[in-house]
Amino acid sequence: MTTPRVAGTLETLSRGVHAVPSLRQGIGFTLLLAMIGASGRVVVPVVIQQAIDHGLQRSIRGSAQTVDVALVVKMCLGAAIYLVIASIAQRTAVSRLGQRSESALFDLRVKLFQHIHQLSLEDHNDEQRGSLVARVTSDVETLSQFFSWGGLAFLLNGALMIIVAGVMLVYDWSLALLVILISAPLVYVLRRVQARLIAAYDGSRLANADLLGNTAELVTGAETLHAYSAGAIFGVRVKKSSKIRGDKQTKATLIGALLFPSGEIFGAIAVSAVVFVGLWRGSSSGLTAGALVGFIFLTYRFLEPIAELTEVLDQTQTAVSGMRRILGILSIPAGPPPAEFPIEIGDQPLDIKMNNVTFFYRPRDGEVRDENSAVLSRINCVIQFGTQVAVVGETGSGKTTLGRLLSRFSDPTSGMISIGGVPLNRIDNEALREMLVVVPQEPFLFSDTIAANLRFVLPQASDQILIDAFTNVDLQDWFETLPLGLDMLVGQRGSQLSAGERQLVALVRASLINPSILILDEATSSVDASTEVRLTRALDKLSRGRTTISIAHRLSTAARADRVLVLDSGLLVQDGSHDELVGAPGVYSEMYKSWESSHNTSD
Amino acid sequence: MHDHSSTSGRFRRATTLIRSLVTYHPGLFAISMAGAMVFAVCTVGSSWLLRWIIDEVIIRRFDTNTFSISQTLTAVGLLIGLSLIRACGVIVRRSFAGRAQWRTAQSLTDEVVDVLVKQPPQWHRRQSTGELLTRAGVDVEASVAVMAPLPYASSVILMMAIAAVGLISTDTALGLAATAVFPALIGLNVLYQRRVDKWFDIAQGELGLLSAAVHESFEGVTVVKAFGAENRETERLAIIASRVQNARVEAIRLRSLFEAALDFVPNVTNICLVVGGAFRVRSGDLSVGELASFIYMFTLLVFPLRLIGYALSEMPRSQAGFDRIQSLRRSPIFDDPRSLFTHGSSSLVLDSVSIGYDDTNILFRNVSISFSARSFTAIVGYTGSGKSTFVESLAGITPIFSGSVSTKDQLTSFVFQEPFLFGTSVRDNVCLGSNFSDEEVEWALRIAEADFVQGLPQGFDTIIGERGVGLSGGQRQRIALARAVIRRPSVLILDDTTSALDPNTEVKVLRNIKSGLPGSTVIAVASRPSLIGMADQIMFFDQGSIYGPTTHVELLIQNVSYRSLMQAYEEPQEFEDDSL
Repeated sequence: MTTPRVAGTLETLSRGVHAVPSLRQGIGFTLLLAMIGASGRVVVPVVIQQAIDHGLQRSIRGSAQTVDVALVVKMCLGAAIYLVIASIAQRTAVSRLGQRSESALFDLRVKLFQHIHQLSLEDHNDEQRGSLVARVTSDVETLSQFFSWGGLAFLLNGALMIIVAGVMLVYDWSLALLVILISAPLVYVLRRVQARLIAAYDGSRLANADLLGNTAELVTGAETLHAYSAGAIFGVRVKKSSKIRGDKQTKATLIGALLFPSGEIFGAIAVSAVVFVGLWRGSSSGLTAGALVGFIFLTYRFLEPIAELTEVLDQTQTAVSGMRRILGILSIPAGPPPAEFPIEIGDQPLDIKMNNVTFFYRPRDGEVRDENSAVLSRINCVIQFGTQVAVVGETGSGKTTLGRLLSRFSDPTSGMISIGGVPLNRIDNEALREMLVVVPQEPFLFSDTIAANLRFVLPQASDQILIDAFTNVDLQDWFETLPLGLDMLVGQRGSQLSAGERQLVALVRASLINPSILILDEATSSVDASTEVRLTRALDKLSRGRTTISIAHRLSTAARADRVLVLDSGLLVQDGSHDELVGAPGVYSEMYKSWESSHNTSD
Repeated sequence: MHDHSSTSGRFRRATTLIRSLVTYHPGLFAISMAGAMVFAVCTVGSSWLLRWIIDEVIIRRFDTNTFSISQTLTAVGLLIGLSLIRACGVIVRRSFAGRAQWRTAQSLTDEVVDVLVKQPPQWHRRQSTGELLTRAGVDVEASVAVMAPLPYASSVILMMAIAAVGLISTDTALGLAATAVFPALIGLNVLYQRRVDKWFDIAQGELGLLSAAVHESFEGVTVVKAFGAENRETERLAIIASRVQNARVEAIRLRSLFEAALDFVPNVTNICLVVGGAFRVRSGDLSVGELASFIYMFTLLVFPLRLIGYALSEMPRSQAGFDRIQSLRRSPIFDDPRSLFTHGSSSLVLDSVSIGYDDTNILFRNVSISFSARSFTAIVGYTGSGKSTFVESLAGITPIFSGSVSTKDQLTSFVFQEPFLFGTSVRDNVCLGSNFSDEEVEWALRIAEADFVQGLPQGFDTIIGERGVGLSGGQRQRIALARAVIRRPSVLILDDTTSALDPNTEVKVLRNIKSGLPGSTVIAVASRPSLIGMADQIMFFDQGSIYGPTTHVELLIQNVSYRSLMQAYEEPQEFEDDSL
């Protein structure tokens, strides 16, 4: 088995550009503008040198001075005009790079939204949610940071260094080589210091997260801490983590304090070397005083961007690994693909037919599928339209997976499910979602009003339609107890409502679609007495005239169904009515016995 | 005129802010300032040195065409020596500024923590969690952010002063012209930071919204898929993402303009200096070296000027953060309701107690009850009948409006409906900082039927919560129960604490409490018949009235409302009446 290969920097970049082609648009012209812009910064040292050499010459004894003011003015005027052009070019380059990269990153985000929404539910578990969110927020942010700071620095400083090095080589190639030779080790030193700086910042970030986590507990747990008079003890803990944060930050600033002076000292050495060699060679080698002075200024200009560029190298690494993670998400195959050539369901009755339905989890990278690990094996079954079906089985029996396959949240690995004679994967997704509605185990509500949560499925519905929906499932009495009615805010994940009340809203939401087939994933958590009554009533009302398939956790639900499917380790082992099954020896009667005994022990 | 006064007002506020920040750790700050001054003097010195090298060493060398090794070595030695001193100045300045900044942050955090600890729950309930976290996190960091660039900014001002004197004394006209550009550049920088920061802040805010919306959309992916809303959701998120994009682009557009201007102004000034210098050199008022040093000085100051702009633009944010922390510190500390409890011989006595927030909002009036030791009281009522507020008042978590509460001792344990567990070990969550032996912890966990703890990877040393093992609602409730019983309280109050347990476990836990804490008064809010069945007496809360304490049978006979509530419990749960 081979370990998965980590893509290299260049490969990642090229794949990234491939994924977001707009990144490359117009980059050539932007580069050209950046070069022109950077060249403007070299103008001043060159003009000073020219002015000293040609305009401000002095006679040998230093008494008579021949100053050609007209020449100096002419040169300076030319330089000023060039500066204007260069500034405009620089401005345009920066603005173009920023706008192009932001619009490319917007495209990338939308692409990620779309892809992640299409991933199958297996890839959407609770553990992974945080990282999926991080991909579209912070990872795209690292790219944005890179383009607006790092990319910009590459563009402006890189161009500047190349131009300055070029001018230096033209002036005096041996002095230029001397400067480049002396500056080379600076890159190494800076990289070392920066690596330590990054480690120190990571440390302080962790300490900061600790501090915030502890403070959050002090705030959210305030009542508990007060009830047990433990506030002071926990306060001391927060102070301790605050001290650690201070220590780590202090360490980071100390390392940071070493960064700038190292550039400074290298600069002094390089300039000293230029001064020494220049003086030693004298005018015999064609060097002039003006050229040497100009060269000193150029040396400062050349060294300036090095520190910033090395910093950018690390930012580049961050951006590349962000891009790598994003590409990783984009490479996860999407869930069931939409039907390419959808078939319309004719007038046939909407019977559901399962033919040899088998399901395996998609093997992870490098894993080989174990043929004995089928979640569902060869399920064959026909459910006639209008039947109330309960699917029961122990945890891990495959009943939840069967629900997902029937809802087309996943496609069977082999075998086929059809509705009204049309295979599920040939039904247009929109048509399917109007015909078949799923009420999940933990019905999710958006942090908005009740009305907004209902309109999520029927955006154009009027208030009256929404209120009628409550009445239609016998929930008008509950609706009247809601403080603000449709305008009530349900809070995050519907936290302002109890678990049972969230299910009530989910049922009303499902009823708005008026589907022919209803798939109910029953909740495991218990619900308070009065809500339970309402739920049962609403469900009865809702299931009339439809096919209802309940993934049942409570056998009371099975007892009410027309037909019970019993799953055991992925096999359909029993199929019949509650009364038939409860009398026959088998999985169902065992389950029923243990359920009954656990519900009659109150004393 | 008005503008001027507001500017001076702002200046006064800024100096007050800096003074208050510096007083936390004045020594550290002073050392940093000393380093900054060394840096400033050396920077100006290096520009003079350069002038001397150009005039006296380089030009003389080329004029006379003689190479003086001693003069050359002096020049090189001075260059390197001065830059070493300057580097030391920088290291001292930056490291001590950082130290002062983060030690001050620590002191500010401590102050916030003290307030958070001292204020009782009734204060905490009026605050938003997010706001309080912002005080301890973002606001502290923003307050001290201005400290880091402060020594640097001071050194730049010193440099400018020395440079201005130097420039003007070398050549009055040119010097005055060059000096005039400094304030203009500072103004441009401040304007730049403020304008651009506004857009970056907007982008940051939109990014926060995007992050929340994305999280919600992914969390609800089942619903999104179930109703085929994938494309609609993508569109919705794209709209928010485009707002992030627009704010960023706006910031970039402004930035590109200002960056170009900030490069352009000093460069053009330099060129003007060359022209002006040419005239002065011709008239013999200025040497070529002096001119070069002029220009070098200018280049040296341009970059620091940018940081001054940065420091000044940080000022409003620091100010706002610091002000918010100060107003939190100055907010009056509320009374701990428990400090008003009196002490008597009975375990818990209410004497004409009224419960409510103010005159117009009284839930219960003049309640007088004495709970005897060893009694087990169940509190029953419809949702919203004030059960939680009532029991919280008994525990001193919510203040009473009038009347008096008397307890035998301070030992009341309260278990919340939704228990709060800390992200530490199970043991730590049970002990909450008090010292209890292993045996006591085991005993408490046993009473709470929390035997699942033994199955955790490190037993009761297992870390729970976000960074550890996730627990179910029922498991969390049992750990919170163990936390209450380990203190062997004289009064144990359970606010619907056993709701997430299955009925069998609930009954076992309650039996354990009765036998394990035989002397304790137990008061429990009940929403399930199994708990009502365990109680000695019932209090029924209905529409502002309290019925009882009396027996279940008595209430069934006398109270219609109670009877219908019991019927609602019976139907789905197949609650058996004869079990009572």
